[in-house]
Amino acid sequence: MTAELFIDWATLIALVLLGLALVASMVRIVIGPSLSDRVLALDLLTVVAMGFIGAIAVRTGLWLYLDIAIALALLGFLATVALARYVLLRGHADGEVG
Amino acid sequence: MLTGLELYLGGVVLVLGAAFTLLAAIGVVRLPDLYTRMHAASKAGAVGGGLILVAVAVVSQDAAVATRAIIGVAFLLLTTPVSAHLLARASYLSRYKPGSQTLIDELASKNGQNPATE
Amino acid sequence: MNPVFLIIVLALIWAAISGNFSGLNLLLGALIGGVAIWLLRDAWAGPRSTRKIRRVLSLAALFLYELMASAVRVAIVVMRPDLKSALRPAIIAVPIALKSDAEVTLLANLITLTPGTLTVDVSADRSVLYVHVLDMGDREAVISDIANGFEKKVREVFE
Repeated sequence: MTAELFIDWATLIALVLLGLALVASMVRIVIGPSLSDRVLALDLLTVVAMGFIGAIAVRTGLWLYLDIAIALALLGFLATVALARYVLLRGHADGEVG
Repeated sequence: MLTGLELYLGGVVLVLGAAFTLLAAIGVVRLPDLYTRMHAASKAGAVGGGLILVAVAVVSQDAAVATRAIIGVAFLLLTTPVSAHLLARASYLSRYKPGSQTLIDELASKNGQNPATE
Repeated sequence: MNPVFLIIVLALIWAAISGNFSGLNLLLGALIGGVAIWLLRDAWAGPRSTRKIRRVLSLAALFLYELMASAVRVAIVVMRPDLKSALRPAIIAVPIALKSDAEVTLLANLITLTPGTLTVDVSADRSVLYVHVLDMGDREAVISDIANGFEKKVREVFE
């Protein structure tokens, strides 16, 4: 097996595994049960999407994709921070003392 | 066969990273409550995403790309625990109780008359 | 670490990130690095001993090893068919003796990324970390692991 063929198969297997991960985290987003569970699954979904972009960068050899992956990781972090603030505020708004 | 060494190494690391990401997702589906799910998402997820970026660095053979990938890994390892911690704290404060299997919950007695200190 | 060495390092990082190692771009990086160091001159902590750098590296090595170990452990737990009986989750209070916010933050992050533990909250006076444990065995063993492992190393780095 040549190196080129090997990397071709490796990226294909990685993309399949990441596809399954995408489906699994979407299952958690759909079934919940609480808002926090969905936020957690969305956070994981961002990491999976970042993995997709990385695998495609390796497969195509277009390294510009890496910048997109890093930007997505940054965006995912900020989204999770914002949603965590929302979970916190909503919990207090229910009238319960935190 | 030494010429393609970086491709073999990068391919193995890439598949390993994807496998860890998949295990994190399986953990998020299978584990019983929010806090145990968080273990899977924060640890296996960070390692999976990090390994994929390392694979990009290894395969690219380019100093500029590799530096950015390593900075990306460092960023991921810094932010993942912070977001997990924020979400765990926010969920706890908004009365999301740990699952029924949880053995001890010393945080619950924090506001009581008996602080859980040594 | 003297300023000249730092300017060279900053110039190289600049060149690496902007993806251009030409002489002119390196010079621009050095210029920006010089301005940044000049602006931060009052915040400069002073010379750092090589011993401190070695401690930082030792902490980083321990961290990377523990991170891989923890990912493998979570992966094994997740794949077990008898998942419910394999888990013994608990939230325990871990007393810590760290002074600054930076130390507590670093320790909390390290705990989250290491096997079976996840920081949930910290008490207002920074004396207690509330840690969620995935597979609770012995409470005292978990606490002494944190105190003798990461907490000791974090204190060595910051002292």
